[in-house]
Amino acid sequence: MKTFEHVEPKATRDALGQLAGDGLTFPIAGGTDLLTVMKKEIVRAQRLVNLKEIAELRYIREDSRGGLRLGALATLDEVERHPLVRERYPALAQAIAVSASPQLRTMGTIGGNLCQHSRCWYYREDFHCWLKGGEVCYARDGQNAQHAIFGGGPCYSTQPSDPGPALVALGARVRILGPSADRERTIPIEELFVVPTEDRRRLTALAPDELIVEVQVSRPAPGQRSRYLKAMDRAIWAFALVSVAANLRLDGGRIAEARLVLGGVAPKPWRAHDAEAALAGRPLDTAAIADATRAAVRGAQPLVHNAYKVPLAEGLVKRILEDLVE
Amino acid sequence: MAKVVKTRIEMEGETVERSVVVEGEAPPPWTEDTVLSLIGGARPRVDGPARVSGRAVYTADVRLPGMLYAKILRCPHAHARLRRIDVAPAMALRGVRAVLSHRTAPPIQWQNGVLLFDETLRFAGDEVAAVAADDEDIAQDALELIEVDYEVLPFVVDPEAALRPDAPRIHPRGNRSSPPRVYQRGDVARGFADADIVVETVVRTPTALHNCMEPHGSVAWRDGDTLVIWDSTQHVHGVREQVAETLGLPLSRVRVISEYIGGGFGSKQGVGKYTIIAALLARLTSRPVQLMLDRREENLATGNRHETIQRLRIGARRDGSLTAIDLRAIAAIGAYGGQPMAIAGPVQEFYRCPNVLTEEVGAFTNTGPTCAFRAPGYTEGAYGLETALDELAARLEIDPLELRLRNYADVNPVSGRPFSSKPLRELYRLGAEQIGWHDKRRPECGPTGARRRGVGMATATWGGGGGPPAHALVRINSDATVDVLVGTQDIGTGTKTVLATIAAEELGLSIQAVRVALGDTLAGPYCPVSAGSMTVASVGPAVRQAAREARQALRDVAATFLEVPASQLDIQDGEIVATMSPDRRMTIEDLAGRLNRFQIIGKGSRGANPNDVDIRTFGAQFAEVQVDTETGQVEVCRLVAVHECGRVINPLTTSSQVEGGVVQGIGYALMEERIVDPRTGKVLNPNLDDYKLPTVQDAPVVEVTMDDHVDERANVLGAKGLGEPPIIPTAPAIANAVAHALGRPLVEFPLTRARLLQALQEGQVGNGSSHPRPLSPRERGRGHRR
Ligand SMILES: Cc1cc2nc3c(=O)[nH]c(=O)nc-3n(C[C@H](O)[C@H](O)[C@H](O)COP(=O)(O)OP(=O)(O)OC[C@H]3O[C@@H](n4cnc5c(N)ncnc54)[C@H](O)[C@@H]3O)c2cc1C
Ligand code: SF4
Repeated sequence: MKTFEHVEPKATRDALGQLAGDGLTFPIAGGTDLLTVMKKEIVRAQRLVNLKEIAELRYIREDSRGGLRLGALATLDEVERHPLVRERYPALAQAIAVSASPQLRTMGTIGGNLCQHSRCWYYREDFHCWLKGGEVCYARDGQNAQHAIFGGGPCYSTQPSDPGPALVALGARVRILGPSADRERTIPIEELFVVPTEDRRRLTALAPDELIVEVQVSRPAPGQRSRYLKAMDRAIWAFALVSVAANLRLDGGRIAEARLVLGGVAPKPWRAHDAEAALAGRPLDTAAIADATRAAVRGAQPLVHNAYKVPLAEGLVKRILEDLVE
Repeated sequence: MAKVVKTRIEMEGETVERSVVVEGEAPPPWTEDTVLSLIGGARPRVDGPARVSGRAVYTADVRLPGMLYAKILRCPHAHARLRRIDVAPAMALRGVRAVLSHRTAPPIQWQNGVLLFDETLRFAGDEVAAVAADDEDIAQDALELIEVDYEVLPFVVDPEAALRPDAPRIHPRGNRSSPPRVYQRGDVARGFADADIVVETVVRTPTALHNCMEPHGSVAWRDGDTLVIWDSTQHVHGVREQVAETLGLPLSRVRVISEYIGGGFGSKQGVGKYTIIAALLARLTSRPVQLMLDRREENLATGNRHETIQRLRIGARRDGSLTAIDLRAIAAIGAYGGQPMAIAGPVQEFYRCPNVLTEEVGAFTNTGPTCAFRAPGYTEGAYGLETALDELAARLEIDPLELRLRNYADVNPVSGRPFSSKPLRELYRLGAEQIGWHDKRRPECGPTGARRRGVGMATATWGGGGGPPAHALVRINSDATVDVLVGTQDIGTGTKTVLATIAAEELGLSIQAVRVALGDTLAGPYCPVSAGSMTVASVGPAVRQAAREARQALRDVAATFLEVPASQLDIQDGEIVATMSPDRRMTIEDLAGRLNRFQIIGKGSRGANPNDVDIRTFGAQFAEVQVDTETGQVEVCRLVAVHECGRVINPLTTSSQVEGGVVQGIGYALMEERIVDPRTGKVLNPNLDDYKLPTVQDAPVVEVTMDDHVDERANVLGAKGLGEPPIIPTAPAIANAVAHALGRPLVEFPLTRARLLQALQEGQVGNGSSHPRPLSPRERGRGHRR
């Protein structure tokens, strides 16, 4: 890791003023991800803007309409333990509980989690791959067991965040601030996550001079239930091979609204729109579950080594829906 | 009196005959009837507090005045030649004290005719240059300033591809790392002709990485005319020899220290390049130099369990008796090395089978060199043999345990000699009972539903008899404490604790009164490498003999003061007591006071091994798993491990060996696998993120049962080794349990979700009802492919 400058603003405004958007300045929260990519010199930072001294960004509260507000600096551990989260947003609590390790959850923040770098091993090892500004994606024809079966190309990396799919399923929004007031926006979290493109080789829509300041989730409607399931290659402390977040609203025995989001299958949390449609308006019974399970992987385009993700995604979708049956 | 004896010593699947010096008189064996007060008691580690409190000084903790820090520049290509290397920009960096490279290092021969810093680099991670600097950051920066121009060469990472005639050559004589190792008994052709059924399978096992908690590394310091080396090693005396030889120094001018080691698992058996590099840099700079590797270097360059491809054919009669086994194994040796590990060991010696043919071939590949890894070869080989046997059992519709019993080897099938003890039948019985084997293997417990249970078992046979040379000194201090001086090392197994217990038992003192000084070639006489499960069985008897000699000397001396014949004196809690008239007694302090602080020193050495029996250790493990066919998850619900190592000296150190071996075996069964990029030959997971080690949540409570008996023929302790056996049967027991749950065997390991789901997709695995189909008469006698 190279020598860098470290600044410690006390207010969000100051922090935004420090973020130059020059490709050499980066915000740092828990540092659990940023430091790993700095040590490997995937990120060559000259200046770090430390967010941890900004007290106004560290909170978890209920808003006036009964929704949830998470300051970007709330740690994963704090979010997971919060009674409001556990009670009303089980998918989020469950997603965090199976993320990383207790140590990492104590350090890592929700804001940082949504902005973490790719876990593709070519990205993390010394390959100058496409996502890092190079010419080729090494994973496409290489060791791609962990890679995308949806939305791949030019990059086949998956989005590593577990809270990500849960928050997409819960219809969360994120508040983003930039260097000037006109850059302030609140967008569905679904739009924060992106499939990288030629002119935006990153996993989020965030510009380098912007900050996530808040995650907002509205109060669940009556009959709403959510869950998160994750498959790993060991019991814990691993990124998702495949995960699934489900958020269903049942009304009079029928599914009034369904959100199914797959993790570990695409560069962004992947809405299984077909599966959602397969559920809409039906009772949550074996037939509906079977249809949704099949629909969830429709259009999957596996690579050489990741075809197993198709049955795995099916298996998890089936399981999570079965779990949601009362 | 010293005498030279010839004796057979088994280590890691190889038996050698050696001439060794044996001194003094061996104590009478501790038999089943000997009353022992300390041996066999559950006692915590004597160095536990030092280790957990951070007081223990590991190699990385050594700090010497003026010490420099060194780092190694490693080749980024799988195969390359140095066209040009310019270290001048690195040398120019402030704080850089020395740089070594192919151009500047002395031409030290390393392995396979290759230099320490060679012009050709044969794997991504091979050593190109090294820097010593004032601190680690400077050394790291300096590495980046070294300008290297590589000529990238064609490479090969797959062992089978490496053996093809058109494969890129890694060494001038080709990619066979040694002549094929062939073993034969009987006539396999006849054996297969006699068979009613032949099972044929190809088993693939992965490259596994040691991931010792403490990385490899050395501190080198020239203290006057002596080169002192702190080294994380399994063999201080071996490293001393190799360093002296490599650097052309007299043996006595090298001292190697390794008091605390954070695991070796076979990867620290000898001198490392890093040791020699540290010594060279120390010489160049006249300063102490510390060179510790990081996790990435650990996983690229310090060894691995080799990947194997095992082609197995097993012939049996309808009643299950084995008629022939034919094993052709290929192992990826990596860029440097020689013969493969003893992959064929299990096939040769686990079961009675009259006709056996094995061939082991090592292939050089452009990957990090392989080395011993806990029960090297046997762990790989047991995976193949034990899973194939279960397939045979299924096809014959014989219970897998029953199949093993029907082929039980009462004598060593390789040598024809009996064993010093072989309680394996009893181990099978105990394990089967504990897991509920017979209930759970009933045919009606066949696989159904999405979440399926299965039970499986596997056998372990391993050496662990140890042998000479191993020497010890025991010094009784005038304050009634005792120093045990041995040139062994405690790699985390509890050697210190066990040796202290043996000395205290023999001397009639408390364990607290005994201090074991080990891990220093200057202080302790020669002891063997801490490998091959041989430390207790080799060093333990030497310590006992030394303690006994010291005890006798102490009684002789006390006898003159107490005016009682020495034979009537006993030592109890630091007091010398006349057994006939207990009022005649004196403390050791007293005695020493009267003798001008005279110190009694006893000397001991390990005696020869018996030559009419073979010494082996045995074990059996039983696993119960739950397989989720919809998500590919394998959960190890129960793991019953029944082992024996003769006399149990300390149930806590034995159970921790078994638990550690089992957890490592779970990793090997389910998740551990080095991944290499086929297009660049680079390792993609040389870290702890993507190379998955089992966590505590992956391990069930390991149910350890030790069959504690005295192996009177083994040695004067009646104890054998246990370091390695526990890992041998774990993976095949789990794989067999998975096969039971699914109704079909799997042949590619580890059993990740990807592999499991893939197999389920390809219909390789039956759906619920399908039990393996028995052989039709037509198929009998010829090979059957899955
Ligand atoms: C071994 C390991 C295992 C892990 N396993 C999992 C897992 O299973 N599931 C999972 O979800 N995660 C996992 N993680 C990732 C972990 O959850 C994240 O590292 C953590 O949440 C990041 O938070 P942080 O505050 O430490 O972020 P930092 O490391 O400080 O920052 C991460 C990135 O976000 C940027 N950033 C931080 N805060 C903001 C902000 N407010 N606005 C804009 N940009 C910002 C930084 O510039 C940086 O690029 C794992 C990490 C490790 C090291
Ligand atoms: S998947 Fe993306 S991150 Fe991985 S190698 Fe390809 S471009 Fe790079």
